[in-house]
Amino acid sequence: MATFNEKKTCSQRMEDFSRFMWNPETKQFMGRTLIKWGMLWIILYYIAFYVVITGLFALSLYSLMRTINPYTPDYQDQLKSPGVTLRPDVYVDEDLDIYYNINDTHSWGRLVTALHTFLSAYNTTAQHKNINCSSETYFFQKSFLGPNKTKFSCKFTADMLENCSGLTDPNFGFPEGKPCFIIKMNRVSTNPICWKKHDFPLEVQYYPVNGTFNLHYFPYYGKKAQPTYTNPLVAVKFLNIPRNTEVNIVCRVVGTGIISDNIHDPFVGKVEFRLKIKENRKEP
Amino acid sequence: EKIDEGDERYKDLKGNKGKPKKKDELKKELELLLKYTDMNHGPIGLSSARAAEILARDGPNALTPPKATPEIIKFLKQMVGGFSILLWVGALFSWVSFGIQLAQGIDSAFDNLYLGVVLALVVILTGIFAYYQEAKSTNIMASFSKMIPQQALVIRDAEKKEISAEQLVVGDIVEIKGGDRIPADIRLIFAQGCKVDNSSLTGESEPQSRSCDFTHENPLETKNIAFYSTTCLEGTATGIVINTGDRTVIGRIASLASGVGNEKTPIAIEIQHFVYMVAGVAISIGILFFIISVSMRYKILDSIIFLIGIIVANVPEGLLATVTVSLSLTAKRMAKKNCLVKNLEAVETLGSTSIICSDKTGTLTQNRMTVAHLWFDNQIFQADTSENQTTQTFDQSSQTWAALSKIVTLCNRAEFRPGQENVPIMKRIVGGDASETALLKFSEVILGDVMDVRSRNKKVAEIPFNSTNKYQLSIHETEDPNDKRFLLVMKGAPERILERCSTIMINGKEEPLDSEKAEAFQTAYMELGGLGERVLGFCHLYLPEDEFPDTYPFDTDSMNFPTSNLCFVGLLSMIDPPRSTVPDAVCKCRSAGIKVIMVTGDHPITAKAIAKSVGIISATSETVEDIAKRLNVPVEHVNRRDATAAVVNGMELKDMTLEQLDEILNNHSEIVFARTSPQQKLIIVEGCQRQNAVVAVTGDGVNDSPALKKADIGIAMGIAGSDAAKNAADMVLLDDNFASIVTGVEEGRLIFDNLKKTIAYTLTKNIAELCPFLIYIIASIPLPIGTITILFIDLGTDIIPSVALAYEKAESDIMNRKPRNKKKDRLVNQQLAVYSYLQIGIIQSIGAFLTYFTVYAEQGFLPNTLLGVRVNWENNYINDFEDSYGQEWTKYQRTYLQWSGYTAFFVSITIEQVADLIIRKTRRNSIFQQGLFRNKVIWVGIFSQIAIALILCYGLGSVTALNFTPLRVQYWFVAVPYAILIWVYDEFRKLLIRRYPGSWWDKNMYY
Repeated sequence: MATFNEKKTCSQRMEDFSRFMWNPETKQFMGRTLIKWGMLWIILYYIAFYVVITGLFALSLYSLMRTINPYTPDYQDQLKSPGVTLRPDVYVDEDLDIYYNINDTHSWGRLVTALHTFLSAYNTTAQHKNINCSSETYFFQKSFLGPNKTKFSCKFTADMLENCSGLTDPNFGFPEGKPCFIIKMNRVSTNPICWKKHDFPLEVQYYPVNGTFNLHYFPYYGKKAQPTYTNPLVAVKFLNIPRNTEVNIVCRVVGTGIISDNIHDPFVGKVEFRLKIKENRKEP
Repeated sequence: EKIDEGDERYKDLKGNKGKPKKKDELKKELELLLKYTDMNHGPIGLSSARAAEILARDGPNALTPPKATPEIIKFLKQMVGGFSILLWVGALFSWVSFGIQLAQGIDSAFDNLYLGVVLALVVILTGIFAYYQEAKSTNIMASFSKMIPQQALVIRDAEKKEISAEQLVVGDIVEIKGGDRIPADIRLIFAQGCKVDNSSLTGESEPQSRSCDFTHENPLETKNIAFYSTTCLEGTATGIVINTGDRTVIGRIASLASGVGNEKTPIAIEIQHFVYMVAGVAISIGILFFIISVSMRYKILDSIIFLIGIIVANVPEGLLATVTVSLSLTAKRMAKKNCLVKNLEAVETLGSTSIICSDKTGTLTQNRMTVAHLWFDNQIFQADTSENQTTQTFDQSSQTWAALSKIVTLCNRAEFRPGQENVPIMKRIVGGDASETALLKFSEVILGDVMDVRSRNKKVAEIPFNSTNKYQLSIHETEDPNDKRFLLVMKGAPERILERCSTIMINGKEEPLDSEKAEAFQTAYMELGGLGERVLGFCHLYLPEDEFPDTYPFDTDSMNFPTSNLCFVGLLSMIDPPRSTVPDAVCKCRSAGIKVIMVTGDHPITAKAIAKSVGIISATSETVEDIAKRLNVPVEHVNRRDATAAVVNGMELKDMTLEQLDEILNNHSEIVFARTSPQQKLIIVEGCQRQNAVVAVTGDGVNDSPALKKADIGIAMGIAGSDAAKNAADMVLLDDNFASIVTGVEEGRLIFDNLKKTIAYTLTKNIAELCPFLIYIIASIPLPIGTITILFIDLGTDIIPSVALAYEKAESDIMNRKPRNKKKDRLVNQQLAVYSYLQIGIIQSIGAFLTYFTVYAEQGFLPNTLLGVRVNWENNYINDFEDSYGQEWTKYQRTYLQWSGYTAFFVSITIEQVADLIIRKTRRNSIFQQGLFRNKVIWVGIFSQIAIALILCYGLGSVTALNFTPLRVQYWFVAVPYAILIWVYDEFRKLLIRRYPGSWWDKNMYY
C-alpha cells in the first residue's frame, strides 16, 4: 500500500514510460515480448492472407460470370429431354399417389385448391403482359423486340383448358369421379421438335383439344429473355375411372427427341401416377 | 539410496541377497549327493526315480519363453488403434441413420448402409494390413529363436547317461568337457584345466579358469560355479547341478529382461500425438457443426449425417497404412545395409537416438586377439590390426625382427584347421587359444606358410604354457643344414622372460642386458600395458653344438637344458582391436550430436584404450585420473567438471547414488563404464533415459538383454549375438558392425523428415474435403463432395504419392544436426498443421470450389442461385426445380448434376494435390535445389494419381453407386491456376525461410 500512496516524480514517470516502451531486462516492447509481437505479426499476416485469397476467389468468380452467357446456359447435358410433372401432386414414398373419396369433401377439396393455386398464374391478369399467338409453328425470335429488351412470350390462359380450367367447373370434376389433372412439361431452352399427343389407355378428354402443346410456345429463350413466360399446359379429364380400384396411369409426352425410358429418372418425358377414387356404396 | 539396493527389481539378481537361503538349499543337495555317492567308486548320482520326482517338482531345465500376445489380441488391437475408433463411430452413425431412415421409408437410406459398410471395410482392411506388416517383421525373428536341442552327460544310478539337457534336475551330477555348453548352473566338484567362456554372461572376453575352490562370496566371481549357457572352452569338469531352468543366473537375467516393459517407441508416441490432434480437430469441428446444424433447425438425423461427413473428411484414412509402408520401405533399405529391423517403428527410433550405449567386445572390436604392437631394437612398432590385413608394413629389415619372427612362429602350438587354403588368413579357423591364434595369424601374414617353417625347423622338445611357469618353451632343429645347433625359443609373461635373460638383441647383435636396457624394456612394457594390451616377451638361445649334439636327449621333466641366461629379443602386444570402420562411425555419431558411451564387462584399462582408439574418448580429453596424474595431485583435488571424459568402474558404480550417476552422465561427454554387470547396464540405460535421451543399446550377450529391452532401441549383433540378445533387441546388425548403426541413424532421420512431408501432404486435402461440408451446412448449397468420393481420394489417389515421399532424399546433411528433442521436435507440430490446414488447404478448397461453381454455372445454376437451395434441391417431390435460366430440373437431373459436382471437386483436389506433392518434396530448400526429377517415384505417384482419377471419372462414370460422372475435359484445368499458386506461394515461403532464418516467418512457417 505504501508504494500506492507514493507520489511519482515526473522523471520517474518518464522512466516508467520508457520502460514500458522498451524493457531491456525482460526484452518487452510495450509490455509484450518480441515473441508475442511475432504472434501479432502472424495474426496480421493471416488476415492479409485471407483478404488476398478471398479477393482472388471473388476475382475468379467474377471472371467466371463474365464468360457465362446470361441468356442460355453453356450446356444442357441433363436437360436434353424435359421432365414432366403432374398437378395436383401428392407424393407417397417418392411415387405420385392420388387418392380421394368422393363422399369426403375434404379429401378432394385440397386437390382442387392445389389446382386453383397452380392455375392462378394463368389467369388473364397474370398473363396480360404476354402476347396472343396464333401461328402453328415455332415462334423464333432473333431480336429483342419486347419491352425492356426482352423477347415475347405467348399467352397461355387457364380458359384454354376449357372444362378443366376451373372456371366452368370450379371442382375440376372431382366430385363426379371424372377428375381433371394438369400435365406440365418442364421448361428447357431447347426446341422440342414436334408435339403430337398424349398417349392414354383410358377414356380421356384432353384440353386443349387433342392434347397438343401449340408450337408457338417454343422455343423457350430463358428467364432473362422471356421473364413472363409460362409453361403451356395440357389438362386431362378422366371419364371412366373405376371406383374403389387403384389405377396406374402413365402420361407420356411424345415427340421426336423426347425420351421417356430413362431407368434412373421416372420423371423424364413422362409422368406416372396412381389414382384411386373411393366412393362409399350407397346402401340399397 | 544405493543403486544396487534401491531397486527391488534387481534384488533377485544380487547373489549375496538370496545367498543364505541358497546356501541351505545347497547344503541339502550336498547331503543328498553324499547319500548317493559311493566314496570308493566315485559318484553314483541320483536315482532315476528321485530325478523324476525332482523334475516333477521343478519342471524341465529350460527357459520359459517370454509370454507372447495371442494373435487375436494383436489383430483386435490393430482394429481399434489409431483412427479406427473414429471410423467405427462413423460407421455406427451411418447404420443408425440407415435404420431410422429405413423405418421412415426413405429410399436413399441404403446410401448410409453402404457408407457404413465402406467405413467398416476401410478399418478392417487397414487393420489387416497393419497386422500383416507386424506379423511379417516378427516372422523374420522366429528363425533366430530356434534353439538347438542340447545333450548332457549325467551320472544317474551310478551310470553315465546321455540325456536331453531339459531333463536335468538339481542334484544331478554332470560331466562337461571342452566345447560343451554348460547345461545348467553347476558347482564343480572336479576340474582339470577347465576354462569357460563367460562372455555371454558377463561380457568378459577372456576365458575364465574353473576349479573346485570357493574363491569369492559373489557367485558370479567364484571359480567353482559354471553357468548355464556358457561354454566350456577346454579341459574337463564334473559338477552338481545347483539350479535349473529359470532359476539359473541366465534364467534370472532373462526374466529380468522380460520384466522390463516395452516402452513406446518415439515414432509411436509421435503418431499417437498426431492421431490425437487430428481426432481432436475432427471431434471438435464435428460437435461444433452438429450444434450449429441443430440450431439451424436441421433435423437431428441430418445433423448426424453431416457429422459422419465431417469425421470422414477429417480423418486421413490411408495415412497410417502409408506410414507403415514408408517405415517398411526404410526397413527394407536398412536390411540391405545389414540392419535388420524387428520392430518397424524402431526404424525411426535410431534417427532420434541421442545416446548410444555400446558394448565393446564384438561391436566396437573385432572380437579376436590381434598383434597390435611390437617392441624390438628399443623401438615400438605398430602392426596393422585391420580386419583384412594381408601384409604388415612396419620395418622388417632388422636382424632382430628375423630372430623374433622365428620365435613367434616356432614357439606356438596353434595350427590352422586343414582345408582352408583359399580362406583369407584372418578368417581361418585355428585350433588354439586366442593369443596363440593371434601370433599364428600374424606370422602367417608376414612369413607366409608357417607350417612349412615349422616343419623345416623340427621341434624336438616342448614345455606348454602353464600358470606357474608363465612361459612356454620349445627346442627346434634349425633349417640351415650347416648349422647343427639347436634353437631354444621361449615366450611368456615379459617380466618372467626378462628374468631369464642376460643379453638382449639390438639390431641383430647380442648385447649385455644392463640396467639402462632393462629400463628401456620396462618403459616399453608399461607403455604397451597402458594401452590395455596383453604383452608377451620373447627370447631365444642357440644351444652350443658341442654341449648339445644332434642326438641329445632333451627331457622336459628333468629340464636338461638351460632356461636362463637367454637372449631377450622383443615384446609383442595383442589386443582385441577396434573394427576399422568404428572410429569413423563414432566420429559421425559425434557430428550427428549423438553421445557414444561404452558399457563393457571388460577391464577399465582395456576399455579405456579401446575407447581412445575408436574416439569414444577423444585424443585431447582427459579423465579425472589423467588430470590428477598430469598435475601430480591426488584425484580428490581435481575438479570433476574439468574432466570431459570419465571411466567408471562397476565397483564404483555400485556405491553410487542415482544422483551421482546422473551427474556423471550430465557432466562428462565421453564416458566409459567398465566391469559392469547386467543390472548395472540397466541402471545406466535408465540413467540416460532420465536425461530425456533416446537411448540405443548395442550388445550381444545374454547379460546385455535386459538393457537391450530397456533401451529405446536395442541393437543386437547378428553373428556374435546370443539368441537372448536378439530376442530382446529391436534391431539386429547382421554384420556386427557398429558402422551400420550410423546408416541406421541416417535412415531414421530421413524417414522422420519424410514422414513429416507425407503427413503434411495428406493433411492438406482434409481441409478441401471438410470445407464443402461446412459450407453445405452453413450456406445450404448442393453438397459439393460426397463421403464416398472423399474415401476415393484418401484411399485411392493419395496413397501412392504419399508413399513416394518416403523416397525423397535428404535436404541437407542430416548427419550434421543434433538429434531431435523428443519433447519439442514433434512429428506433427503446430506449424505443420496450421500451414497445411489454414494456408495450403484453404487455397486448395477455393480452387476446388471454383471448379464446382463453374460446373454448376455452365449447366444453368449460377453461384448466387445455389445459396440456400439445399432443402428444395434435395426434395424428392420437386421435379420442376427452376435454375437461373428458368429451366426446370427433375430430382434425378439435379442429383446427376450434383455428382458431376462431386467429380469436379474430386478432380480439382487431385490436380491441386499434384502441386501439393511437389511442394512437399522439400521443407526449406527450393524445389529446384532439390531437383524436380531426382525422385522418380514422385512421378510414379503423380501419374498414378491422375490415372486413378481418369479411371474413376471416365471408366466408372456409368456406375452411379460411386457417384462419379464423366466430366467435361476443360473442368480438369479450372483448378490448375490454384495448383500453380500453391507451388509459387510455397517457393516464396521457403525463400523467406532461407533468407531470414530465425525470423518470425521462419518460426511460424517452417514445419
